[in-house]
Amino acid sequence: MKHFGTRIKPAFALFGLCLLLLSAPLVLTGQASKAKSADSTVAVPDVQCVIGLEGIKPGIKGTASVYQGALTFVEGKNKVQIKIPEITDIFLGNESRQDISGLGGTAVKSAVPYGGGRILSLFSHEVEVMTVEYTDSNGGFHGAVLVFPAGQATAVKNALVAQGAKVTAHAPEPEAPKEQKP
Amino acid sequence: MKRFNGTAVSKGFRAVLCGASLLLVIPLLAPLPADAAPPQEAAHKLSASAVQVVRTQSSATLTIPEDFRVATYEHVILELEATKKFQKVYRDGDSRAESVPDLVIVTLVPATFTAGSQKEREVTTVKGATSIKINVRFTKKDGTVLLEQPIEGKVRFYGENLAATKDFAKKVAKLAKDNF
Repeated sequence: MKHFGTRIKPAFALFGLCLLLLSAPLVLTGQASKAKSADSTVAVPDVQCVIGLEGIKPGIKGTASVYQGALTFVEGKNKVQIKIPEITDIFLGNESRQDISGLGGTAVKSAVPYGGGRILSLFSHEVEVMTVEYTDSNGGFHGAVLVFPAGQATAVKNALVAQGAKVTAHAPEPEAPKEQKP
Repeated sequence: MKRFNGTAVSKGFRAVLCGASLLLVIPLLAPLPADAAPPQEAAHKLSASAVQVVRTQSSATLTIPEDFRVATYEHVILELEATKKFQKVYRDGDSRAESVPDLVIVTLVPATFTAGSQKEREVTTVKGATSIKINVRFTKKDGTVLLEQPIEGKVRFYGENLAATKDFAKKVAKLAKDNF
């Protein structure tokens, strides 16, 4: 038994060494990918800028992304960047939006006879509202309100936090009133 | 059948002409309405080259969603800029505002908030209104209150809840326009 043990041990040691050498690149690659994910790109299309981004008209839809240390909003040729060190806080909230809305939608709803347009108002979808507070180079306070498709804002917030954006602990906001069917 | 002759027509025409001219002259003779005679009022108007908007305050007793607070502040800045009554509208914390001698500071203190529902509004047309009431205060740098007024922003029928903040900001701009 003892003889068998001494013969096996070097073989095990050799096997272990080989395994270690083989796994080393994998471990290193894993670490690199982790570092990459911290600098990863998150891009969400169809984001509405309610207000607060300079050079972007309130109510315009565009693509919000987290890339190279900044929150970027792109709409056509217009591009606004909020650098992560400038961000002082991020808030998330839930709301709902009408499926048929805007000037055209309102006109359509009004055009349906016998108040039938109200039935169209019953159709809505959930959205996430992200409020980003930041300061400019002069110390001026800015706040941007962005409306994301449901579940997308959390990913953007997480990406921003992973890249170093400041977020304070918030008291839970009151829940949006539950919409009841009349 | 009676035929109209030239003299009858000219008499009628003269009468109509007289009536029309009287209608034109009477408003000119009447005293000017109060809003059309502003020279005295203009003397009482406030003046400032720049204004600084302080971000909407939070309250321990009143919970307002952060998007409403931020949207109120941002809309007020946009609407005050649109009035063109001030050379510059500074943001809260802007260091450049300190050097302005006649700076007016606008403070927004929330008083009431009702979170409505767009769906409820559009379906029932009587329920679900969103409203936000904020005490707007225009003060000098030394704290002297120049103007103070509670203003309410509402969405009653159509539109998203946040539209109440735009309605509020438009009323603030009107207040500034009327007093500066």
